Amino acid sequence: MKRGSIAAIVLSALLALLGGHLRAGEALQFPVEEFVLDNGMAFMVVERHTAPVFSGYISVGVGSAYEKTGNIGSAHLLEHMMFKGSREVGTSDYEAEKDLIVKEDSVWAKIDRAVRETRFIELNQPEKLEEHLNYIEKLRLILDSLTILSSQYVIQNEFDMIYTRNGAAQFNAFTGYDNTNYFVSLPANRLELWFAMESGRLKHPALREFFPERDVVSEERRLSVETSPEAKLFEQLIGTAFIAHPYQIFWEWQSEENNLTRDDLADFFETYYIPQRITVAVVGDVAVARVRELAEEYFGDMPSRPEPEPIYTREPEQPGERRVDVHYESNPVLSIAYHKTSFDDPGEPAFRIIEDLLGRGRTSRLYKALVLEKQLCLNVSVYTFPGSSLGDMHDGVLCIDAYPKEGVTTLEVEEAIYAELDRLAAEPVSQRELTKIKNNIDASFIWASYSNIGLAGYLARAQNLARDWRYLSTMRDNLLAVTAEDIRQTAAEYFTENNRTVATLIPKRKGEEK
Amino acid sequence: MKKSLLILVGLSMFLAATVMAVNPRDMQFEPLRFDLPEPVRFETDNGISVYFLEDHQLPVITLSVMFHGGSVYDPPEKSGLAELTATLLRSGGAGTRTPEEVDEELDYYSIDLSSNAGDEALVVNMNSLAKNDELAFEIMADMMRRPRFDSAKMALEISNLQDEIRRRNDEAGNVTRRVYYQTVYGGHPYGRYPTLASVAALSRADIVAMHEKYYNPDNCLMAVAGDLTPAELKDLIDRYLGGWSRAGRELPEVPRATRQYEPGVYYAEKDINQAHIRFGHLCMDIKNPDRYAMDIMNFALGGGGFISRIMGQVRTTHGLAYSVGTYVYRRPLMGTLFAYCQTRADAMGRAMEMMLDIIEEVKREGITTEEFELARESIINGFVFNYDTPGKIAGNFAYNEFHGFPPDQLKRDLEAYQAVTLDDCNRVAARYLDTEDIVIVVTGNKEMFDRPMADFGPVTAVSMEIE
Repeated sequence: MKRGSIAAIVLSALLALLGGHLRAGEALQFPVEEFVLDNGMAFMVVERHTAPVFSGYISVGVGSAYEKTGNIGSAHLLEHMMFKGSREVGTSDYEAEKDLIVKEDSVWAKIDRAVRETRFIELNQPEKLEEHLNYIEKLRLILDSLTILSSQYVIQNEFDMIYTRNGAAQFNAFTGYDNTNYFVSLPANRLELWFAMESGRLKHPALREFFPERDVVSEERRLSVETSPEAKLFEQLIGTAFIAHPYQIFWEWQSEENNLTRDDLADFFETYYIPQRITVAVVGDVAVARVRELAEEYFGDMPSRPEPEPIYTREPEQPGERRVDVHYESNPVLSIAYHKTSFDDPGEPAFRIIEDLLGRGRTSRLYKALVLEKQLCLNVSVYTFPGSSLGDMHDGVLCIDAYPKEGVTTLEVEEAIYAELDRLAAEPVSQRELTKIKNNIDASFIWASYSNIGLAGYLARAQNLARDWRYLSTMRDNLLAVTAEDIRQTAAEYFTENNRTVATLIPKRKGEEK
Repeated sequence: MKKSLLILVGLSMFLAATVMAVNPRDMQFEPLRFDLPEPVRFETDNGISVYFLEDHQLPVITLSVMFHGGSVYDPPEKSGLAELTATLLRSGGAGTRTPEEVDEELDYYSIDLSSNAGDEALVVNMNSLAKNDELAFEIMADMMRRPRFDSAKMALEISNLQDEIRRRNDEAGNVTRRVYYQTVYGGHPYGRYPTLASVAALSRADIVAMHEKYYNPDNCLMAVAGDLTPAELKDLIDRYLGGWSRAGRELPEVPRATRQYEPGVYYAEKDINQAHIRFGHLCMDIKNPDRYAMDIMNFALGGGGFISRIMGQVRTTHGLAYSVGTYVYRRPLMGTLFAYCQTRADAMGRAMEMMLDIIEEVKREGITTEEFELARESIINGFVFNYDTPGKIAGNFAYNEFHGFPPDQLKRDLEAYQAVTLDDCNRVAARYLDTEDIVIVVTGNKEMFDRPMADFGPVTAVSMEIE
């Protein structure tokens, strides 16, 4: 239940090294069976009988990029709420519970309205302010008691309890920018349990225990962003690099999240959680025929709904370098972003190779130059954002993070990084260096199938992104076809001063106001 | 080669008489029966114990070598020796190859070779495509047998280690973890961290001596899985590790950790809007016979995620934390049990008290029958995930032998979990849980806390100076 944090971004960069480049029938030695239900929901199945377990992976084609002012945070909070169960699971009496939930929401709406009016009462009728604040307090108490009343029908965490009791592993979900993913691994004979559980929450989720969960998500933000120097820096980097596209919001803002309502989530769910946008992969000790039978039985009656509007916003061309500073109690960090391509852009394959050339392993260009030769940095990492290992739906950024050694300024590091990028734009890479990258792509394509959950994730997400999982194979072909000249041209086109954003974390010493 | 081990998991018959609309909570399943593939074990002439699981599904090999040794054996004034040696083993050149040549070859052929120092194990891991196994073995063998410990590389690694030390207070999570171990383990090596000075004191002679002492064939175990036959593996081992001579195993005596700390609150000041809390005490080692009951009890208390009492209360009901729970960390020389939570700064006291109360309650009254059944069933049904990849299977067998467990330990573990009773759980809860004689670490800004930390014990401010 996490959202793409820095850790997840770094992880996906690692996954990009490990995988994301698989191909049917060739190095992927497990045939993929596929079928699509009448309502448009696509399934991919790989039978693999190594151990009596399977992984189920569900990718929903909506993520935080689809949020707009007013419902920022919906994708992530909804993902959390999907763990609260369904009409059947998590409650002892859904009807009774539902009535109380409706009452809770109407009280919340009153609180929300009253809070919004506070500033104008303060301005125009200051004598009534105290009374007004008391009114809000009273409403809050009513809300609390309603929550206690509804909790008598709640079977807390029952959704988790059922999976856990049945031996589930790797049970989690994450919210990306383009998609939201739900996955779990179970003993092989629990296949039907998985269908019953997942179809229950995907057909009629119950958004119970909403208010405490909203606070949980706030704590997640504090943990993942507020207390992490890299994430604080990254939030500003992204917010500065993008001025129009929704990728600009790294993590939902506290102020907006605090005001999300159950209705916001219900709307979001209705709009986007539709069978045509849901792709499912099952990998492991299962029989394809049985998966198909169960898919029909459990998901066949999920009605298709109209396709929502896509995201039209395109990030305008950046007319000059952008810089931003962050003062934080930490050692310096430098982070640089360059706008790049979306997954299906002809320039994308060269970018993926460049990412590896610059940052993959000890012989990568930046590691060699900054860490080993010039010894300016303790470490350097290169990744793309949003950074799906399969590529992103819209134009993203390529980021370089550097951790300067003691006594080295971020400016020195910046200069050294630009020198390497300029070299990439000026001289074609050697055949050996290019072959090295391609060898690793080949290998990562094989490793991607190593675990059930890994393979299931690639299939479900590839199908969701490109509308055909065979994109994995196209992607591999495209990567292997990249030439030294493609790389040089892409570097020359994108690694320009105008196209970059530079974020610097400046140490804040104790007691310093800044 | 495959021994068959019947593992019965689950309880009863599937009762889906009504076919449609069975609530998932009422679904019941046949016991899961599976044959556990067992790795073969053999010993080389020079004393390497090898576990091997043949698996041809993917053209890859995973390999892990574990040497007895590690940071607990570092002399206190040279803390960091094991870490630096392990790092330099990989980065300092090997055999006829310079450091750069090693990196080039490994990267070009996509061979992932790494070397790390744990507390009691020096570990070399290798993942490779099967087609490159010759080169992978050659470089790995050179690295373990003939490391060059290049002096320029050594200077760089020392300086990088020092930079890491300088950065160790950047993240609140790291601060909380480190201060907890330093305090709860007192002067024991488990609570020791390298300092700028201890790292500066390391010489190349120390590293060479450390390598000679520990990186020896009769001091290690090897776990291999993947796309080769036993004959092929034996041949590779023979050719690349064959002439490597025995040197015996002689580990310095390290005492078990005993309670040395002063109970109380240890406060690490950090200007953040969250309080990071970790509290606990010494608990049990890896061989304690109570560990199975402890795992089941702890699963219900705070280790089992959402179904645990602590997560249910602190997170689900009160929305006070994203990540919260308890953890039993068993270690050979004495483990620790701790609770952890990160909550908004003005709920520090509230969350802390909630966790302490729950632990106190479970210590006093035990867990319920329902909690016990659920925890026990979850652990037993999830046991199959110890065997879900060939690498994990071989690795688990090797791990057990490394720590002196019998060869069929995995099976014994499962049987031991199955034999645990509610009384066992409540006995260990009463015996091991503690809320009085504990170390409490809080990282954050005390100005923002809802309650004074002194409510929870005498407060000691931890120095945040880098040493």
